[in-house]
Parts: sequence; structure tokens; C-alpha cells
Amino acid sequence: MMRLYADSSKCSGCRACLVACSLNLFQENNPKKAALVIEAHFPAPGAYKVRVCTQCGACAEVCPTGAIKINERGAYYVDMAECNLCEACVPECPESVMFVRTELADTSWKCDLCGDCVSVCGTGVLWIAETEAAVA
Amino acid sequence: MSATIRPFGMLREYLQGEKEAEVAAGQTVRQALASLGIPPEVVALVLVNDQPQEKDYFLQEGDVVKILAVIGGG
Amino acid sequence: MNGYGGQILRVNLSNGQISKEPTPPEVAREFVGGRGFGLYFLLKEVPPKADPLGPENKLIISSGPFSGLMIPGAGKCDWTTKAPLTGGYASASMGGHFTAEMKYAGLDSIILEGISPKPVYLFIDDNKIELRDASQLWGKGSMIVEKTLKDQYGEEFQVAAIGPAGENCVSFAHINHDYGRQAGRGGVGAVMGAKKVKAIVVRGTKSIPVADPDAYRKAGMELFKACKEAEMLKEWTSYGTTIVVSWCDEVGALPTRNFSAGSFEDGKNLYGPVMRQKIVITDKGCFGCPSPCGKYSRVQRYNTYVEGPEYETIGMIGSNLGLNSIEDVAHANYLCDEWGIDTISAGGVIAWAMECYEKGIFTKADTDGLELKFGNAEAVFKLIEKIAKKEGLGALLADGVKRAAQKVGKGSEKWAIHVKGMEQSAYATHNATAMLLAYMTCDVGAHHNRAWAITYDLQVGRERVAPEKVARVIWLQHFRPMFDVLGGCRLQWVELGIDRNLYLPALEAITGIHRTWEDLELVGERLWNLARLYWMREIDGFDRNWDLPAPRFYEEPPSSGATQGQITRFEDVQKLLDMYYEQRGWSPQGHPTPQTLERLGLQSFVN
Repeated sequence: MMRLYADSSKCSGCRACLVACSLNLFQENNPKKAALVIEAHFPAPGAYKVRVCTQCGACAEVCPTGAIKINERGAYYVDMAECNLCEACVPECPESVMFVRTELADTSWKCDLCGDCVSVCGTGVLWIAETEAAVA
Repeated sequence: MSATIRPFGMLREYLQGEKEAEVAAGQTVRQALASLGIPPEVVALVLVNDQPQEKDYFLQEGDVVKILAVIGGG
Repeated sequence: MNGYGGQILRVNLSNGQISKEPTPPEVAREFVGGRGFGLYFLLKEVPPKADPLGPENKLIISSGPFSGLMIPGAGKCDWTTKAPLTGGYASASMGGHFTAEMKYAGLDSIILEGISPKPVYLFIDDNKIELRDASQLWGKGSMIVEKTLKDQYGEEFQVAAIGPAGENCVSFAHINHDYGRQAGRGGVGAVMGAKKVKAIVVRGTKSIPVADPDAYRKAGMELFKACKEAEMLKEWTSYGTTIVVSWCDEVGALPTRNFSAGSFEDGKNLYGPVMRQKIVITDKGCFGCPSPCGKYSRVQRYNTYVEGPEYETIGMIGSNLGLNSIEDVAHANYLCDEWGIDTISAGGVIAWAMECYEKGIFTKADTDGLELKFGNAEAVFKLIEKIAKKEGLGALLADGVKRAAQKVGKGSEKWAIHVKGMEQSAYATHNATAMLLAYMTCDVGAHHNRAWAITYDLQVGRERVAPEKVARVIWLQHFRPMFDVLGGCRLQWVELGIDRNLYLPALEAITGIHRTWEDLELVGERLWNLARLYWMREIDGFDRNWDLPAPRFYEEPPSSGATQGQITRFEDVQKLLDMYYEQRGWSPQGHPTPQTLERLGLQSFVN
């Protein structure tokens, strides 16, 4: 099974990944509708921290409508037509990358492993590889 | 004894488009550039084995020297 | 409107009225965005001879079609106003994330008008737009204010703030954003301070529409691919603009002790690799940038954090002041950012003051006891604060080097290194005629951002005075600022050398309007001529004398360094100008001719 990895030490906070992500998920240019997070810690200590979905599946386990499914890349994704906004998934996510913001969308959203963020990252923060469980 | 000079970008024009040239080790980068007809003033950055070096650095056997032009600056 | 936020926000600070109007499509077509919008509104709405610090001046902040989209370097906004520093045209380009957020809030331009009776900050949260009380923030450093507002409202908000220098209307006060990006030059921060606006806080949650989403995504991905495959991406990202410090030192372009030379004997302490190793903690980039030039640093000795110093600050505050420690330069950079002054002008005016002191024109009585010699970092730190507060010698220096030298006299005008009242930025031009011409003719004063021509000088012969050099400067002046118009950054083209034609399908897919680079350079030429008309309108008797460089570059050959003994002849300075005006279609006095204005369709803008 594949997942996204992030090396935060290389992140420069540009957020190109967020726009690429929202384009993929919603066909919109809106980084607030992306499925990964860049935290900025400034002025001190002066670092960016990136949080990404690890494909752990905890969200899918609790979803009462079965809206979180597996796609052709073998990744968990939200079938937006079937999400009922119950928000059961949000607190289950260990990385806090399960998103519900009703002012922005009437569905939850998450990473579907499209890889566009990897394509636009210029500093090598992001890559897709086997999950550790699979490697082990 | 030789080292390799690899010009990037427009600096390749000085080597008629070739991507690298062999030069003698034991001379400075500056001298090696001059021997290839590359004016040192147009070279902004010299990386020897990926480490930044001055143009007075003495080339050693097997050194790989990347040279970068100042394309447009600022 | 595809590619645009869609609205112009107008804030009348005198009566508190806030209004929006749709962005006129014909303005978007003709002026494109960013710097183009700024100049359009400046010419149209700020009356002739307005006091830059008065209620009639306006501060116009504009994003562009690329801003906030999946385009490399899509993070720049333009701040245009009448300049307190020069009395002419000011346009400052600010990176970071502000421009993107403005567009997500649906805004192409924000126009600040009038003067607020009390300190305020402009709060924008999508359609909720208010002027809020800034009395608790007034007097505080720009980055302290940013942190306060981000703690209060959340990290999704972007903040642009002035420091105490802007509040005090220091003529080269800047506006700070994202802990280290600035709208730097010309005194844009002083205009904001005169209007009593301490900060602008913005969040937007809307999407930006594009004409052809599939083509836009494809074109954007092509641009990112080109950047990532650029040969010197890794080296550029390691050092940012500090990559040229060693080269400038080597070729005599590094300003040293008030531009008395172009090489600094202690320059090695300021080179990019040294800086990276000593103080840099993370690369920091603007919105959408795959090649982050920002070098965020921690200076242990002073326990300060700063984004920088970048090349200009190393040149102007480092070698130009004789400072040989990168830690000292970084700390001075931090002080300039927090207090709120442009590092380039600060370096230029402090260098002038140091030369006055070393020549005995200033004594310790004039410098409030400071030993104002080249190399004295402590004096520089103290002087930055004094300038921001307009205290003691700082009050004189806060007016900029041209006015300070006029006031002091005693021959000090000779070493006031400026053009049109703007302190020259960090390329010593004793013998580099294209770069010298670039500084002479830049449309905001002696700034390098329009035409950076110094490598060209070195490639074709630095002392040559030839029509091709003039043509090159003119072309750069039309082409490079187009990135400021598009709301993006030029450095992917400049530094990574990506093919500029890759931008065209992206622009067309975004806006739905087909444009070639010829079309865009024509926009550039029109803007260039409009800016020239603005100077002529605002300054009585504005002519070729205002294009002359500092006398140092034709009278005083350096006594050391790579350009030792080299100087440009004054007759060549005049020849360069003659050729420039001729190629531009301007009169020998430097005024666009009626034929040129007709060719460019600008007759309606005259008088």
C-alpha cells in the first residue's frame, strides 16, 4: 500500500501543494480546501511543519455511511456524494488531516493520493512510497 | 592528472555546446577557465565536488567542477 | 472575471466609508494587473502635485492574474503611490502570501484614501471588511504586530504592517509582511503611516476562477516541471540572491564604503556559503515558489531572527558600511525590519553619514556621540533606531540622502549616491555602463529591479558605450516588470533560466485572453512612458538632469578592488542618455515625443 511522506525540514512554506490539492479534489484554486497542512512556526523557532495522510484507514473504520472508500491507487478517499457530514472521522485522524468545514464545502475531504502535490513541490518535501507496514 | 569542468547553461557556449571538458589538475580554477577560453568574470559560482570554492582553488585529480553563470541576477 | 479577484476595494480613511466596485474589464485588458493597476489608479485618481503624506495621495495595493494560482512564483503584489522619498512615482513589489489571500477575498486592488483621524488597521475577512482600532498596536514593531494579529485571528490571516518608522513618516519607511517580506522602496510605509493605517489583515476563502481549467492545470504543471528540472535549482535554493555576493566582489560591483570601491577586502565573510553555514535555519518562500530565495536566519549573538540578509542588504548594510560580520549585517537587517525602514535606503544614507563623519563634516556632537566610522556595527544598530524615531541625527537621515546632503552642504552632495532622490541599490557602477544606465533611467529612482544588466556588461565589455547595450536596458525595462504586472515573480526566469514562453499558455488559460510576449512588452512600454509622464507632471522642470547618476561614478575611480582606477567618462554618461532617449522616442530632454505617445496610444493621458 502506498502513502504520501513529508520531510518538513525541507519545506519553505510556499503552499503550491495546497493549491494543487484543491484543484484535484474540488477543481478549485483554494488552498483552504486542501488535504494536507503546512503549519508555520514564526518568528521562532522559524520552521514549517507538514502534516499528511498516512493512509492508516482510521477514518474509513468509523465512517457510518461507508463514504470513505479505496480508489484505483489503493488509497482511502471520500466519495463526496455519500458523506453526510456526521464528522465522526475528524477526531479519529491521528494526523488531523480529515477535514470538515461546512462554510467551504458540504462534504468532508481527505487526501486521495493523486500525487499532484509531489509534482509541484520544488524542495523535495513530498514523495509517495510504500507504507511502513507494507515494507515490514 | 586531470579534472573535469562542467559548465551550466549559457557557459556551454564557450565549449561549443559540449557539457564538459578535461583540464589539467594542479592549476587554479581561474587558470583552467582561461585555458578553455571562459572569462572568469562571467562565472558566478564554482562548485568543486558540490562544495563552493573560490577561483583560486587548486584543482586536484578527479575533481568535478561545476561552473554557473550569473544568468540575470536580482 | 477569469483570473481576477473581481473587485476593487476602496477605503476612505477620512470618513470611514468602505466600498467595492467591480474591476473594470477594459482596465484588466489594458493594464493587466499588479503594477499596471497601480499606475492606472495613480494617474487617474491622485491629483497633480498632491502631498505624498497628505489626504489626496492614495496607496494602491494590487494583485495580478497569476497571484494565488498554481503558477511558480505566484506570490507578488504591487504597492503604488506618490513617493515621499522622491516626490515621483513609487512602486514596490512585495512577496510572501498577501497577494494570494487578497485574491481569495475577491480583491484585485485595495485603494487606501484620505487620512484616518485615529490609528486603525484594515480588517478583511472575505466580505466582512472593517476599520478597527489600532491604538494598542501603534508604536510597536512591524513583526511584533504581525504576531499579535496572527495570534488573535489565526494563521489563515495574512498581515502587512508598518513599524514605528512608517508611523513617523520616515521617507524610506517600508511595509513588512510574513516576517521578512517587504514593500520596500520609495517610502510606501510612510504613506501608510501618514494615513494612520498600522496594518492590513486579510483572509479570503473564495476560489479564483480560470477560463480553461484543464489547460491551466497543464500549463502550470509544465512551469513547475521546468523549474524543478532547472540545472541550478539546488544551488539557487541553497543561497538565494546571496549567490552573487562573491561574484560582485570579484568583478567590482559590490558597493564598498559608500560606493567608493566595488570590492571589499573583508568581503569573504559576507559570501553566501559562509552565511548559509553560520546563520541560516530554513529556506523560506513566497506563495507558489519552487525555488525559495528566502533564507530565514537566527543570529545567536543577538538572539534575533530575520529573513535574510539577502544580496541587497549584504551589499548596502554590509560592505557599503564596512561591516565585515554576517551576524552584524543580519542583526541590522532585523532592526530595519522591526523598526520599519528599507535596508537599501538605510544603507545608502548611513554610508553617506559615515563618509561625512570620516571627512570631519560631522563631529560627535552631530552624531549624538556615535563614532560613525565605517565598520562600526554598534553605531549602525543605534542609528537605525534613531532614524525610525527621527531622533537626533536620525531626523536628518530620515529625509533620505538627497535632502540630507542638500541641508548639510559642504560638498556632501558629491557623495550622496542616489538618482532622483532614491538611494542607489547594491551594484557599484564605476565601470559597467549598462547597469549605470539602468540606474539612471529606472522609473522609481536608482533601483535595480527593472533592468539588471550587469552580467551583460561583463559579457560584452563593461566600458563599452554602444547602442546594443542601450537596447538591452530598454528591453529589460519592458520585460522584467511584467512579472510585477502579472502578480508573479521574475526570478524563475532570471535565476533558473526557464523558458519564458511557458508562461503564455498559462496566462491565456487563466484569463481567456491570448497574449504574446510582444503584446506584454508593449504593455510594459506603455507603463514605462506613463510613469515618465507622471514624473513630468509632478516635478516642475523634470528633464534629463534628473537622469544623471551620482558624480562618484564619473569623477572618482576606486583606489582599490577589481575596478581600481576605472571610471566612466561624463561624456559617455551623456552619450548613453542621448542614445537611450533616441531609442525610446523621447526628446533630447527626456520627454516622450508626441509621435511616441501616439504610437503607444497614450495621448489621452497627457495633461
